[in-house]
Amino acid sequence: MLKYTAKRLLLLIPVLVGITFLSFAMMRLAGGDAVTYMYENAGTAVSQEIIDEARKEYGLDQPFLVQYGRWFMGMASGDMGTSYVSGRDVYDTFIEKLPATILLMLSSVLLTMAVSVPLGILSAVRHNKWPDRLIRFFSFTGNSMPNFFAALVLMYFLSVKLGWLPVVTSENTILSLVLPTLTLTVSMASKYTRQVRAAVLEELNKDYVMGARARGVSGKVIIWKNVMKASMVTIITLLSLSVGSLLGGTTIVETIFMWDGVGKMAVDAITMRDYPIVQAYVAWMAVIYVLANLASDILCHYIDPRVRLGGERR
Amino acid sequence: MRRGAAATGKQKIKKDITKKKLIVFAALTLILLLAAAFARYLCPYDPNEQNLLLAQKPPGVEHWMGTDRFGRDMFSRVLAGSTISVYATLVLVAVVTVTGTLAGMICGWRGGVIDTVVMRVADLFLAFPSLVFALAVAGVLGGGIQNAVIALAVIGWPKFARLARGLTMAQKEAPYLMAARLAGSSTPKLLFKHILPNIAGPVLVTAVLDIGTMMMELAGLSFLGLGVQPPVAEWGSMINDGRSMLQIAPWMALAPGAAIFVTVMIFNLLGDTLRDYLDPRQRG
Amino acid sequence: MRKKLIAAVLAGAVLAAALPVQTFAEEEKTFVYGTTGYSEEMGDAGLNPHDNYSGWSAVRYGVGETLFKYNDNMEIEPWLATDYEFIDDTTVKITLREGVKFSSGRTMDALAVKECLEDLIKVHDRAPSDLKIDRMEAEGMTLTIYTKEPCPAIINYLGDPYGAIIDMEYGIQGEGGSANVAGTGPYIAEEVSPTQIELVKNEDYWGGEVKVDRVTVKSFADGSALTAALQTGDIQGTYGLQYDNYALFENNPDYTIHSCATSRCFFGQFNFESEIMQDQNVRKAIEMGIDKEGFCSVIMQGRGLPASAAFPDSFSYGNQAVETVSYDPEGAKALLEESGWTDSDGDGYVDRDGEKLTVNWLTYPTRLEQPKLAEYAQATLKEIGIDVKVNNTSDHMTYAGNGDFDVYVSSLTTAPTGDPEYFFTSTVTGPKNYGGYQNEEVTELTEKLHQTFETEERSALAVELQQTILDDDAMFFVSHLNMGIVTKSDVTGIAAHPCDYYEITAELDVE
Repeated sequence: MLKYTAKRLLLLIPVLVGITFLSFAMMRLAGGDAVTYMYENAGTAVSQEIIDEARKEYGLDQPFLVQYGRWFMGMASGDMGTSYVSGRDVYDTFIEKLPATILLMLSSVLLTMAVSVPLGILSAVRHNKWPDRLIRFFSFTGNSMPNFFAALVLMYFLSVKLGWLPVVTSENTILSLVLPTLTLTVSMASKYTRQVRAAVLEELNKDYVMGARARGVSGKVIIWKNVMKASMVTIITLLSLSVGSLLGGTTIVETIFMWDGVGKMAVDAITMRDYPIVQAYVAWMAVIYVLANLASDILCHYIDPRVRLGGERR
Repeated sequence: MRRGAAATGKQKIKKDITKKKLIVFAALTLILLLAAAFARYLCPYDPNEQNLLLAQKPPGVEHWMGTDRFGRDMFSRVLAGSTISVYATLVLVAVVTVTGTLAGMICGWRGGVIDTVVMRVADLFLAFPSLVFALAVAGVLGGGIQNAVIALAVIGWPKFARLARGLTMAQKEAPYLMAARLAGSSTPKLLFKHILPNIAGPVLVTAVLDIGTMMMELAGLSFLGLGVQPPVAEWGSMINDGRSMLQIAPWMALAPGAAIFVTVMIFNLLGDTLRDYLDPRQRG
Repeated sequence: MRKKLIAAVLAGAVLAAALPVQTFAEEEKTFVYGTTGYSEEMGDAGLNPHDNYSGWSAVRYGVGETLFKYNDNMEIEPWLATDYEFIDDTTVKITLREGVKFSSGRTMDALAVKECLEDLIKVHDRAPSDLKIDRMEAEGMTLTIYTKEPCPAIINYLGDPYGAIIDMEYGIQGEGGSANVAGTGPYIAEEVSPTQIELVKNEDYWGGEVKVDRVTVKSFADGSALTAALQTGDIQGTYGLQYDNYALFENNPDYTIHSCATSRCFFGQFNFESEIMQDQNVRKAIEMGIDKEGFCSVIMQGRGLPASAAFPDSFSYGNQAVETVSYDPEGAKALLEESGWTDSDGDGYVDRDGEKLTVNWLTYPTRLEQPKLAEYAQATLKEIGIDVKVNNTSDHMTYAGNGDFDVYVSSLTTAPTGDPEYFFTSTVTGPKNYGGYQNEEVTELTEKLHQTFETEERSALAVELQQTILDDDAMFFVSHLNMGIVTKSDVTGIAAHPCDYYEITAELDVE
């Protein structure tokens, strides 16, 4: 197991090199650079000399490979560079925004699990009865609602109409966590409830469950001991994807609720062509996904030993 | 013996109901697809005709879903928008589901080097911000809805690959597969005849649930010039456009929102029933 | 003994606990201001005027003040300076106001101003080429500036927020979006971050009593959240409300709307390299086929004012000084017919030699109004038989640079310093002339404007230039943005200005 983990972690290096090079190249293909976008955002025109000067300062006048090489050497020696837009150290900026992202990830994943696992099981057990129909209806609704829509509806009712929650506060973290968490939970729980339901149904139809039922093992025991365990593979696979994407930040929710996480930072950086931030973000995402996938593979293996770990010999 | 007979009888009835449901939902889907294909002939008004005197009128007898800020009939625009929204999204979802599932099944089945390589590539794409990719696509291929589909398809498949891989691995050691393997079934036969039907459930559910999300993601790229350009109607962009009007003219976002909802619902019901119908354990 | 000690400690604790409550009870006047105009992406986070656009924030939120300011007609008025005099073409003598103190305690004199401006031209990107300062001499309250070449607009440029005077001895505390400075304004920043600024009143303000004790400036990224925050009372005033949402606050006794036409102008450039656009009749027809009135009143919901030229009515060389065509679909059709464009195949679009008249309309979505304008113009131009293909993309700079358009609609603050020269040198003869428009007369007039000192003469030149551009149909001007500040109705002393530099001032009060 240790050897396997080490091997997977070692594979992180080519993934990192690959992904940062890819994104560097892609940002190049996208056209425009930080200098043009910065001056254009302010809505004023500046002379070509000023633009050239700024480009030179950021090294944007250099050939592509030189730029990447410089960035890579910096990165390798622990220097992630400075943001073109804010002029601040990339590492500091990133570290500053991570706690908010992680907090929101934890709260929304926990709430999502707390809501969708019981509801999914209920829905599967009461297959095609009214609780199932009701739950499915809500999960359709939640799922076909864009995130911003849920955010605005929640904000409108809980803040503007009922006055229970402030739209923004910078003082009270717990209070300001409520709306973003609820928003994310609406869409995630809708999705997971359906997935849990599907997975549990799949298991309930299996012969061993039928057999257990025939032997007179009680329904509860079957569900908790066998069905849940088997359904976990699906849930964990999906969960690792969700955790990954949540750690990448949730731009819309961050924008609406002014939740100062990495998602908005990344999108702003991408649209502004702020390469150093984009590169750091892409590297972060690669690490997160590799780790999340590794964790999910190992977990699945433990829960259901039939699941072999990738790379293992048959 | 009697119990078995009763169970078969029950199953038969259930199977009949499933079949009927399947026909109903298939018909609904067909209607949706036809409506989307011939939408422009069904519109009561010209969906692009502006009339500022009628701007932002709430739903009423003449305009069932109200009008937008240019005074265009929302109902006509929702209808007209179905063509692009439904077809572009279906193509996108189909492409990512099929390629992703295939890749995942092969990885899960074969394991070894193929698995490692493909899954690391998948990690790369999963981790890659779709916006960066979309920007590059816009920069190289230019604007247009087809390029938006390309951008999202390239980014979207790994999710299904991971899902299918996990499910395939869980099935691999199942007794029925052992039996089939011992009986000398070929690999493609094992994959498509035995594994696919068993993992189709979760995959289909995920795919169908993705339809709504994909519609919004397609629309989300329109600011890059990827996606449709005015005046073409498209649901995601219509919702985005109505967003700032939610408190003043809520119908502008709700009308296309309802359309997405109904579409996802229809495909979902179809997917569920199809799964029940194809379920190996229910096969006569 | 012990008991007493405990009692004393307890009493002390109770007192300490009660203290903040007491200060709170003194009824401190507070004001929370929400804005979409403060962020790192806009380059104006932080308060260091010598960094990018952060000077805008220093001046907007009452921390920094400039030597001269612009009045509601965008004319120069004294502020930290009381007077100026051009000794010759390259020398200007500025007299400073007496009794002004920086929040660091230092008294403002010519030396302090000299130090500040020296740093400005050393580190700022735009200021050196605007001001063209060679050297400065400080003597008591008189600052003499020698420029490298004649710089008639130097006084106007000194009113640009980058010219906010700060104490360089105090220096710049913090960096980038967290930079704090010691200015002369009615408020002193206690805490500065890229998303929020905490301000307290300046007890020693030279301009008299400051009425509000504490001001919080909060940055918003989303218009809907801004609206909701104003509705719930989380904020008491806002800048940058989406025009869609004004209807919620109009005719509502709980809120006051202050608005004013700014020099932000939505305008289109024709591409002279494109063959169909080389025909003046086609250009004029497009201009005549756009219903500016309808766009401003309905689509922009009155948050825009129809434009004839680059500057709003409040300027002496603004809209009313020039002549241009008005919305006239019939006249436009006649012009197209004159050039041989008629609808011969009956498809609703005019054609010539079997080719449809299709116009490639380039714009970008950062300014919400621009895609709306494209969509609206598409419909009204269809009426006169022109087929408009919209290319709405954030990558517009690439397309514009490559000349891949027929019409390019963008927006610009045309007179950020109240002086007309900037618009012409940047957009007509300078780097933003994407359409390749060239006219000897315009080039000469711009050069002349560059060398003229007399304000009235400059205005006259600006009018002449705009008229020539309009006569050539090289550009068309659609709308000026009506900038709005919406507050709770108990907030007074806050007003919208044609340049959006002045928001929080000493007059601000909450009743």
